[in-house]
Amino acid sequence: MIEILQQIVNGVAIGGVYVLIALGLTTVFGILGIAHFAHGSVSMFGGYLTFFLVSGMGFPLLLAILVALLTGLVIGMAIEFLAYRPVRNANHINAFIVALGLTMMVEGLNLEFFGHEQVVIPTDLGRVFNIGGVTLPELRLYVILAAALLILAMTIFVEKTKTGQAIRAVAENRDAAILMGVNVNTIPLVVFAISTALGVCAGVMVGSLFAIAPGIGEGLVVKGFAVLILGGLGSIPGAVVGGLVLGITEALAAGFISSAYKDVIAFVVMITVLLVRPQGLMGKA
Amino acid sequence: MKPGLKLLVAGAALAFFVALPQLITVKYYLHLSVLALVWVIAAQGQNLIQGYTGYVSIVQAGFMGIGAYSTALMGLHFDLPVWLTILLAPCVTAIFALATGYPSLRVKGHYFAIVTLAFNMVIFIVLMNFHQLTQGEAGITGIPKPGSRDGWINFRDREVYYYFVLIVAVAMTALAWLIVRSRVGQTLMSIRQNEDLVGAIGIAAWKYKLFAFVVSAMFAGLAGALYAHYQSFINPEIFGVAQSLDAILAVIVGGSGTIAGPVIGAFVVVFLPEYLRFADSFRLILYGLLLVLATIFMPRGIVGTLAVVWSKLERRG
Repeated sequence: MIEILQQIVNGVAIGGVYVLIALGLTTVFGILGIAHFAHGSVSMFGGYLTFFLVSGMGFPLLLAILVALLTGLVIGMAIEFLAYRPVRNANHINAFIVALGLTMMVEGLNLEFFGHEQVVIPTDLGRVFNIGGVTLPELRLYVILAAALLILAMTIFVEKTKTGQAIRAVAENRDAAILMGVNVNTIPLVVFAISTALGVCAGVMVGSLFAIAPGIGEGLVVKGFAVLILGGLGSIPGAVVGGLVLGITEALAAGFISSAYKDVIAFVVMITVLLVRPQGLMGKA
Repeated sequence: MKPGLKLLVAGAALAFFVALPQLITVKYYLHLSVLALVWVIAAQGQNLIQGYTGYVSIVQAGFMGIGAYSTALMGLHFDLPVWLTILLAPCVTAIFALATGYPSLRVKGHYFAIVTLAFNMVIFIVLMNFHQLTQGEAGITGIPKPGSRDGWINFRDREVYYYFVLIVAVAMTALAWLIVRSRVGQTLMSIRQNEDLVGAIGIAAWKYKLFAFVVSAMFAGLAGALYAHYQSFINPEIFGVAQSLDAILAVIVGGSGTIAGPVIGAFVVVFLPEYLRFADSFRLILYGLLLVLATIFMPRGIVGTLAVVWSKLERRG
């Protein structure tokens, strides 16, 4: 029993990272219908940048994260404006190809700037809590708390603010939103800025919990899409539920079945859910 | 373009490919040309499901892997002749495609793309970790070439193998053309245009979609088998998601939903990264940038763009 609880706690931490990645993907998908494949690599850039600022420049961790976040905002807007906007009215597969090209570019830039060695963002959060036999490293606890906080902030932003309302309006019905005076040129910029910032947070979490290396970002974005499928494309609660389900499934599979095949098991769960509920766990039919 | 002219262009292209080994002076380019022809076969398959049916599948390299491993393993364990295993490889791939296509074709658009991507990852992970069968990352070595060592045709010769793959690639391109022209092909294209309408007039769209998916996988399985016997060595590395994305690129860059597109696209996908070697570590960045620019400025691919230019010239002349 303790063992199961332990794996669930581990799963929640990695699930939190998946949720953050998926939130970025799902808002972009909801508004623009783009499968933003470069999201993982851009997120890893954020992680790398944080590592560089902390280890190379001697920044305190929080300041480094702040700088990386702001950089993320700018990069997100640049990607939307320079790469996706020109193919906005073309076939969706074209936007996907642009996303692939961007992935290569960002992966290449990451290699160019930060090399191919794997890096771990140093934190001084070394304590380990023990709650009734379940061990919980301090770092993991903060990751879970930070993810929860970001999810909450994102939900409030989308549900309660004027801009959030405009984002939902565009997702619901783009033409009607234009008629109601929503500026459909600035909304995608805002969405990309926020989604990239969330991605940067996920990148920092991956970099401090595990490690950042070339290729990690691509694996992560695939997981992000799997989360969207599980939860339902374009749905924020879906991303949260899907991310946690995927993270916990993986942790349980790694703990009790086989760590080599944990991804296979996670994908099998995803495909099964899709067959039973094609609209995802939280999607509308 | 008039049909007669199309035939002329096809004939000229064929003559070019037949003469290519004589024009090439650097041995390495002949090697790349063989790889490109293998990719032509895989890309023609990808085009059937992606270009004509409108379902973007991201598992083509995974299916190439199934073809490559099944031909190698059947030869190794059952001691079957190479020719037979090359022919059986697409059939094994078809079985896998049936099993994966049936559930995944129930969903559309991005869902379908991501489910097939997940299948590719599953194939890759199994190839990597099922050591008893696949020998994992180390891969399988010593895969025999077709034909005997002292036969009248020596398939160990790179030029001979080039012509062998060329014949298969031409045959498969012709087959793709026949499928597209047939009533089945017309139905596939109407599914791409409006699937609901196809269903409404009483056509079971799922059968046609499954057909397109399985046939496209068989193309990939054959390509994988030819690759395995050409290289004599396979490991999971080249059957990953990145290579499936290359198959999609070949179709899009060449011209989606055209027969000439995948041929041109396959050569671009194989040769362009080589030509970008001068850029050294910036190669990946440059390749990505070219891709983004090409998609923005040539959304219909090379063939589509040429067709537009041609029809403008015709109207003027």
